[in-house]
Amino acid sequence: MTHDRSLQYLGLALVASVAVAALLSSPVYAGLLVYAAVLGLFALSVNLVFGTLGYVTFGQAAFLGLGAYTAGLLATRWGLNFWWVLPLSILPGVLLGVLVGLVSVRLGGAYFAIASLTVAEILRLLAGNWVDLTRGPLGVVVMPPPLPGQGWHGIGQQPGYLGLALVLCAVAVFVLHRLSRSPVGRAWAAIRQSLPLAESLGIATLRYRVGNLALSGGLAALAGALLVPKILVLTPDLFGPAYSATGLLAVILGGRGTLIGPLIGGAIFAVLPEWLRFLGDLRLAVFALLLLLVVRLLPGGLASLLKRRPSAQGTPLAATPGIVAPAGLADAPPRPATRGALLVEAQGISKSFRGLQALANVDVRVHAGEVVGLIGPNGAGKTTCLNVLSGFTLPDSGTVSLAGTATSGLPAHAMAQRGMVRTFQQTTLFDEISVRENVLIATHLAAGESALAAVLHTSGFRLREAQRAARAEVVLGLVGLAARAHVAAGSLSYGEQRMLAIALALASGPRLLLLDEPAAGLNHTEATALAALISRLRADGLGILIIDHNLKMIMALCDQVVVLHHGEKLAEGTPQAVRSNPEVIAAYMGGMTVDAAHA
Amino acid sequence: MELAAQQIVNGLSAGMAYALVALGLTLIFGVLHVINFAHGEFYMLGGLAAVVAVRILGLPYLLVLPLVPLVLALVGLLVERLSVGPLLPRRDGLSDALLATYAVSLLLADGVLALRGPAPERIDGLEGSLQLGSIIIGHQRLFVFVVGLLGIAALDYMLRRTRFGKQMRAVAQNRFAAQVVGIDVKAMGQRTFMLGAAIAGLAGALLVPISQFTPLMGHNVVIKAFVVVVIGGMGSVAGAVVCGLALGVLEALLGLMLPEGFTTALVYSLLLLTLLLRPQGLFGKVAR
Repeated sequence: MTHDRSLQYLGLALVASVAVAALLSSPVYAGLLVYAAVLGLFALSVNLVFGTLGYVTFGQAAFLGLGAYTAGLLATRWGLNFWWVLPLSILPGVLLGVLVGLVSVRLGGAYFAIASLTVAEILRLLAGNWVDLTRGPLGVVVMPPPLPGQGWHGIGQQPGYLGLALVLCAVAVFVLHRLSRSPVGRAWAAIRQSLPLAESLGIATLRYRVGNLALSGGLAALAGALLVPKILVLTPDLFGPAYSATGLLAVILGGRGTLIGPLIGGAIFAVLPEWLRFLGDLRLAVFALLLLLVVRLLPGGLASLLKRRPSAQGTPLAATPGIVAPAGLADAPPRPATRGALLVEAQGISKSFRGLQALANVDVRVHAGEVVGLIGPNGAGKTTCLNVLSGFTLPDSGTVSLAGTATSGLPAHAMAQRGMVRTFQQTTLFDEISVRENVLIATHLAAGESALAAVLHTSGFRLREAQRAARAEVVLGLVGLAARAHVAAGSLSYGEQRMLAIALALASGPRLLLLDEPAAGLNHTEATALAALISRLRADGLGILIIDHNLKMIMALCDQVVVLHHGEKLAEGTPQAVRSNPEVIAAYMGGMTVDAAHA
Repeated sequence: MELAAQQIVNGLSAGMAYALVALGLTLIFGVLHVINFAHGEFYMLGGLAAVVAVRILGLPYLLVLPLVPLVLALVGLLVERLSVGPLLPRRDGLSDALLATYAVSLLLADGVLALRGPAPERIDGLEGSLQLGSIIIGHQRLFVFVVGLLGIAALDYMLRRTRFGKQMRAVAQNRFAAQVVGIDVKAMGQRTFMLGAAIAGLAGALLVPISQFTPLMGHNVVIKAFVVVVIGGMGSVAGAVVCGLALGVLEALLGLMLPEGFTTALVYSLLLLTLLLRPQGLFGKVAR
């Protein structure tokens, strides 16, 4: 917490001292500083999409130009005071962000890059050809009235303008910083690192992506409106590749994914064009060359040169190996259902992939406080079954109901919100960040959160953050990773990674856990610990569906076993019943008994 | 009506350029999963190479035409080595490759613009024209269409019948499996890039006698090629060809009713409309 504050103070102090120094010296510096603040704001908007969410944007100038034209045209056409309409310019940027988001982000980064470039081009063409409104390439001259403070210290026309730009830039940094340390920012980070994992943990990824673009669009539009008093003429070039590329380059050169990077980049690009004036027409080509060089040689940007290693040396958590108050998970809302209550019921689910019948008319039921094993040879349809249950795959027919309510067609995150959380067969983690931050992301569902509360740090928000942190520690203790909380997830041992994957699912507070081959590749000790954890969770009242090839473990652990073969349910019953079922022995175990098969 | 027929004829040759540029884009995307934002500049450089060879070196156009794709294949190799191949293995490889090709695109377009100036330049292609009733078809337009179709047919043969084409399709279908059976996936990526650049360069050289050379011609064409590959389905060869031609005709017909700027804006917005309504494209498979 203290370290969070200190960064903010540092930033503000920096801005303030530079501002004062500039004010006292000359109008040239004041002008450059305004431009740096505006470009910094614009670069922050690029960074929000590109650095935070991981989507490359080649058309951020669409929002910049839209903001500038909105404020400028409202002021000139309707004679409104420019400074009063300035805030209104944010709105079209937000709306365009939502539109672009809905159109493209569900398709992934490449499509988003194309769509962003195309949107900017469309707006540039409209601005250039809708002559009645925009006077086309001639442009519209906008003369904002001076703000109070004119002539103060003899530093050029508009100290009020300079102050406004700096304050808005600082506010943007503040808001983005607060968001980054809240469930909102964690959701964005989760999306960038692994979309399916984020979705499985109950993060409504589409909503968060569109929200991110809306905020970014609003910021860029504000930057565009703030640019008007500097450029004074609105031309279609505002939508052009020069601005889009400058924003992108500022972020990449400064350092993507940081808050200081875009500000550094913005400052550089406020000054650089002056220095590079001798290049004449080659300037944009030189920018492009610079962009290429930075991407090739210094992908982390300048900020990576001065950054300390992330979070690796935070205060270690008190080591609480494996021991947790039994109330630990039970506290966590919404959770435990009455023991024996029906949690999930799949009826007659079928799924085929291009003619291959992966599942045919399968029924599965899991009750609270019950471990159900789902076994079958490779290709029997086990993972497809789990994908259908968890909402990752739509069944061709059949229904899945959770606690008696039909869930057909719900997206995966909605399943998680209703208490059913899955893990993946391939270990899926947020590799780049620490174990504790992984689990903290996964507490997304622990309590509802609003972006506003996160920005304002309301008492409710702080309480919920503390609850989330507490839940993270409980869960880490439960899986025996408390002592490893500050290690980067990607550098854990394989067995620890498997346990962390389960910890993530647990942190989201499930009633029902779907585990896809959790024991695969574990050594004997690790498998024993896993079995103990599963028994423990069952005692806490969770329902668990587990797929695994470790038959010994399945038979020892499960209350019910379902055997799939060629997509059909071959048998179902207690481990004893399944073990002695002749069909199972014939089809699945090649005539051997279970114990022989595993001996 | 006659005007419309004339426009359709004109649209088909412009559409052939879109189809050829989109074809390279879609091949590269299929094999490397990268959208090459510099692809329009391959088209522009093809035009530039033809202009330089005809104007400055004084070579005949018909001799220049087969040389341009060779030059552009080398440019493609250079760009792949510079901005795609080395970046892909990174953690953020795909987005870094997007960024790098975008940078190359700006570098080439603005470099040529700064060094040559914005003035358009044209060269003579085939002289004369064909008259069908009241419709006039310039020989060059006919030539563009025929050469384009022959090129597409040759490409199709190559993809289906030759070892290279089969390997390419294997990599596009399943990179990992292709690697397992011993295909040099990296080299395939480079060759696909060279092939795509050569096709785009050919298109540029074909179109320069009709639509003039400008340093920004690549920028204008590449977005239309994006529209084509999105509507046709990313990775679909047939989609690129059919939609490319269709887009050229549609654009020409819209041009009868609207000023050029609005026509282009309307064509661009088809991309957004497709993404909204049928994101897999008309020819694409639903499963992704």
